[in-house]
Amino acid sequence: MRLNSPLTISALFLWAIHVLADGKVEFNRDIRPILASKCYACHGPDEDKREADLRLDVRAEAVKGAIKPGKPDDSEFWHRISTTDPNDVMPPPSSPKQLTKTERGLFRRWIAEGAEYQNHWAFAPIKRPAVPTSKNTNPIDAFIEHELAKHDLQPATEADSITLIRRVFLDLTGLPPTPSDLSDLSEWSDAKYASLVDRLLASPNFGERWARHWLDMARYADSSGFLGDGLRPNAYRYRDWVIDAFNHDLPFDQFTIEQIAGDLLPNATREQVAATGFHRNAALNTEAGLDKEEARFQNLADRVNTTGRVWMGLTVGCAQCHTHKYDPITIRDYYSFYAFFDNTEDRDEPTSKAPALAEVTKDRRQTYVHMAGDYTRRGPDVVPASLSSLPPMNKLAQPEPNRLDLAKWLVSPNHPLTSRVAVNQIWSKLFGTGLVRTPDDFGTSGESPSHPKLLDWLASEFMREGWSRKQFIRLIVMSDTYRQSSAHREDIMVLDPLNRLLARQNRIRLDAEILRDSALAVSGLLKYTIGGPSFRPPLPEDVFDVGRSSNWKASPGDEIYRRSLYIILLRSVLYPTLTTFDAPDAADACVRRERSNTPLQALTMMNDGVFVEAAQSLALRVMREESSETTGRLQKLFQFVLSREIRTEELSRLHSFHTEQKARVQSGGTEALKALGIRGKAISPDEAIEAAALVATARVLMNLDEFINRQ
Amino acid sequence: MSPQEYFTQTRRDFLATSSCGLGTLALASLLKQDGLLAENASIPANPLSTRVSHFAPKAERCIFIFLEGGPSQMDLFDPKPLLNKYDGQPLPDSIVGNAKFAFLQKESATVMGTKRVFKKHGQCGMEISDLLPHIATCADDITLIRSMHTTQFNHLPGQLMLNCGESRLGRPSVGSWVTYGLGNASQELPSYVVMVSKGRGLPGGSSTWSSGFLPSSYGGVMFRNGASPVLNLANPDGITPDMQSASISALNDLNRLQHKHIGDPEIAARINSYELAFRMQSSAPELVDLSGESQSTLDAYGVNRIEPPIKSNLGGIGNYQTFSRHCLNARRMIERGVRFVNIIHASWDHHSALDPQLAHNCQMVDQPIAALLKDLKQRGLLDTTLVVWGSEFGRTALGENRKGFKKVTGRDHHPAAFSLWMAGGGIKSGQVHGETDDFAWHVARDPVSMHDFHATILHLFGLDHNKLSYRFQGLDFRLTGVNPAKVVKGLVV
Repeated sequence: MRLNSPLTISALFLWAIHVLADGKVEFNRDIRPILASKCYACHGPDEDKREADLRLDVRAEAVKGAIKPGKPDDSEFWHRISTTDPNDVMPPPSSPKQLTKTERGLFRRWIAEGAEYQNHWAFAPIKRPAVPTSKNTNPIDAFIEHELAKHDLQPATEADSITLIRRVFLDLTGLPPTPSDLSDLSEWSDAKYASLVDRLLASPNFGERWARHWLDMARYADSSGFLGDGLRPNAYRYRDWVIDAFNHDLPFDQFTIEQIAGDLLPNATREQVAATGFHRNAALNTEAGLDKEEARFQNLADRVNTTGRVWMGLTVGCAQCHTHKYDPITIRDYYSFYAFFDNTEDRDEPTSKAPALAEVTKDRRQTYVHMAGDYTRRGPDVVPASLSSLPPMNKLAQPEPNRLDLAKWLVSPNHPLTSRVAVNQIWSKLFGTGLVRTPDDFGTSGESPSHPKLLDWLASEFMREGWSRKQFIRLIVMSDTYRQSSAHREDIMVLDPLNRLLARQNRIRLDAEILRDSALAVSGLLKYTIGGPSFRPPLPEDVFDVGRSSNWKASPGDEIYRRSLYIILLRSVLYPTLTTFDAPDAADACVRRERSNTPLQALTMMNDGVFVEAAQSLALRVMREESSETTGRLQKLFQFVLSREIRTEELSRLHSFHTEQKARVQSGGTEALKALGIRGKAISPDEAIEAAALVATARVLMNLDEFINRQ
Repeated sequence: MSPQEYFTQTRRDFLATSSCGLGTLALASLLKQDGLLAENASIPANPLSTRVSHFAPKAERCIFIFLEGGPSQMDLFDPKPLLNKYDGQPLPDSIVGNAKFAFLQKESATVMGTKRVFKKHGQCGMEISDLLPHIATCADDITLIRSMHTTQFNHLPGQLMLNCGESRLGRPSVGSWVTYGLGNASQELPSYVVMVSKGRGLPGGSSTWSSGFLPSSYGGVMFRNGASPVLNLANPDGITPDMQSASISALNDLNRLQHKHIGDPEIAARINSYELAFRMQSSAPELVDLSGESQSTLDAYGVNRIEPPIKSNLGGIGNYQTFSRHCLNARRMIERGVRFVNIIHASWDHHSALDPQLAHNCQMVDQPIAALLKDLKQRGLLDTTLVVWGSEFGRTALGENRKGFKKVTGRDHHPAAFSLWMAGGGIKSGQVHGETDDFAWHVARDPVSMHDFHATILHLFGLDHNKLSYRFQGLDFRLTGVNPAKVVKGLVV
């Protein structure tokens, strides 16, 4: 048995798509992934673990003996991977990573075709590719259609206006449209769509939604984690800084610099210092009796690893104990990078008490390599330096680079990774998956992009437009590619079942926060206030009681109806309504959320207090706003929840449900009227039965697959 | 086609595709056709569909009893007569070495003796302390490991190591790995269930049973005490069971109509989830309803026993009946196809007042755990059910002389050597594995690391710890980490 992650499957498919399209074996696409996952551990960059003095990641070394270009039968490499002799065969029989028949075939063809190597695509400089000729004005569409055409595929038609409006509301603001947002659909046009997009980008809800994506990566939490899980009462100030940065469209390069080194900027403002709270978010062990030096080491390693994953899409953490097995990152590189953070101390911003970083001036530490990643084992001394296989830093003002130089290096135009990684992250939020499906691994063992030229064009365009995320998001959501229908297409099921070519939009299970916020929004309960301290929604005692920070008192009044990104995130008492829908636990930077589908989700949507209250409130809202006629009420209810008009067959099914439930409520008496909850008091007795039946109906609608997914 | 006909037909279609999305199914067969996937490869289309193990399993289920805080091994499982002889005297440096302690003041620390009496039990003659008289009667079913060691001497890192194989947050727990490897064998209950007795509070909270970087479907589901054991299991007030049934039916019909319209096969998976949730709404309360159990069974587990008085207890007061109930629930879960059960109690962290509080905790767990072992055995379930008693580390032979302590009445954390036991599920019965030195300080023979312990558990489930991996942050992560770990053959039948 092998448990295949969906990732491997998609890699295989991408391969199938390409090889079907143009026949020739290509190193980056076909060969490197196999070498990286099955050979480099013993024949790759790590000298300490290298076997038989054979290195396969560098052509000059590989062709010295193992590989004879053009001659597979004369190549020891081929002999070793094709023999059945257990003493000779590679990978050795003990390795869990055996080659498949197809992979061996690819190696053979590759050697026969000359065993050409290519530089890893992600480390190559970003060159702005020419846009394929197309009648389409948006370059994104030109690139996408160019690939589709190779497979004789047409893009899907544009989604209908209501679906599209709902989609762009959910994607940009994390909230569904209100009926008034949908009132003017006559003569739907590009111009109307464009002005809607601009309106949404200008909405403060945009910053809240997109801040949440970034907070995932910032492993944001309101507590320290570990035994005491101490509260961080001012952590929210960093969260609010992120919201504000998105709403003001702080350019991504500046956004980067302020978070990594805002404290080192000349005349740093209070906000710039608070931005360095990014690296104060990590979990921190403060258990009594702990080894402080070890805790410090782990904390700094987290900063290095997180910076690498979030900005560069590199799994630098692999080099914490040994030179990276797949990517050109040595252990020395790792600790040189670590050195940027080694003289940083935690110091709160004085006026706001926002958690922040500061540079130590006295008694500075000498950084050294920690052998085998052991904080007690001292290796050679190192000084701060960027990764040796990436372009060097610009000339420095001072002898040794500091965090500010590091930040500027990350966003320098010749850095091959930062902009590619950033645009891929944004893309993934608008299509459900990135052009590179491993958003935190742009290294050689990650996946190659589905559309390499498009990725590079986007990366260069992003920088050209001054790293503006609003501009960039606008560019994407205005494209035909984004606006396509997400309806299932049987004709691509065989060729492209994972929809990598984007011959349609993807349907995406909504993020936890959007689900809760949508329910509150359609019911009219949502409280729109931006920022400020986190709140505690009601939570049964036995849920929070398992941890030691078991003091959980629900916030007063209508605080509990605030948007989900303001729910307090305590690492030892994660709020189950969110984690059930894959909200992250803030243990590591979460670069890509899972989107699972479980029975616990069904129970949550049906019975969790907030969804129950939303159903009650929505039912009463419809009774208030609509005449007493049942059909009208059902239509209205449906429209509140799903934005579109109910179809005849749906109405007929809902009607019969409503009639049945009403009869049940009637026979259930006062017990059945409890379905109205605390809002029951506001209902006159002669309307109560109808209200209870509508609550049951609203509850059904808010559990529909269509409500749970963005189309 | 009328809507009614449509519903009938699509229902049949959905049944045919079971819980899997059509897309992934089609994909799997296509990949196999093309030879891109190994013939025996399985794709978790439905993440919880059952999967075949690497090789024939011995254990099909596990009950993992985690007694948080580090129970004192020399007072329970590892008799050391020299402790009383050296009581009040320092240990030679040659033994203590450069050990790190959480609180103990190394220079002035002295050996703390024990009041416990150890006797040989069973045909195997296993020595167990007088604090565990009931478990002692099960000695012939147990393998007692006296040579466990871990790398962590603080609680939460140690607990994460025990439960998740690494000392940091964010890693999947053993139960999550097993669920990931084998799927869910129950159609009505979660595959992985956790029960916690309220005591001092569990340092890691839900991270103890987290799915970590694995999809959340593999995480443990906490069963609460009371009639509605799963969070959000009960319908809201006013929604009767027949109203709920009608709601599910309407919901699924409307979902099928939408499927007709947009054709996304994932809608089938959503319908399936709602149906499973609906079944769980009756099967979970039934599970914790003990009214069908005989009085003798209830008495054996001590479900209605009276807790003896104690002034204060780190492990809390009022947990006796709860713990009994958890053990009995565990058996009922096992019978109903739940694959992995965690029973957790905090805390056993006896830095002080060790004698009275350890005795109180032991009396709480001893009878129900023994009853569980016997009950499983009598029902023919023990052979395929692994039962584990474990904690993050043990305690020191030296008494704790923390600054501010007036008297030495407890012991500090000790990771270098401690005890843990396993029973059933392919574990050898009636043996002691490994040995420590005269002060239970170092492992003297057959050391078992946490990762060896994990490798062995996976092995019992028919899973190769080297092969069961998940790609995260560019690395194929395993429960047993990157350094070599071994299945401890001496533990396995």
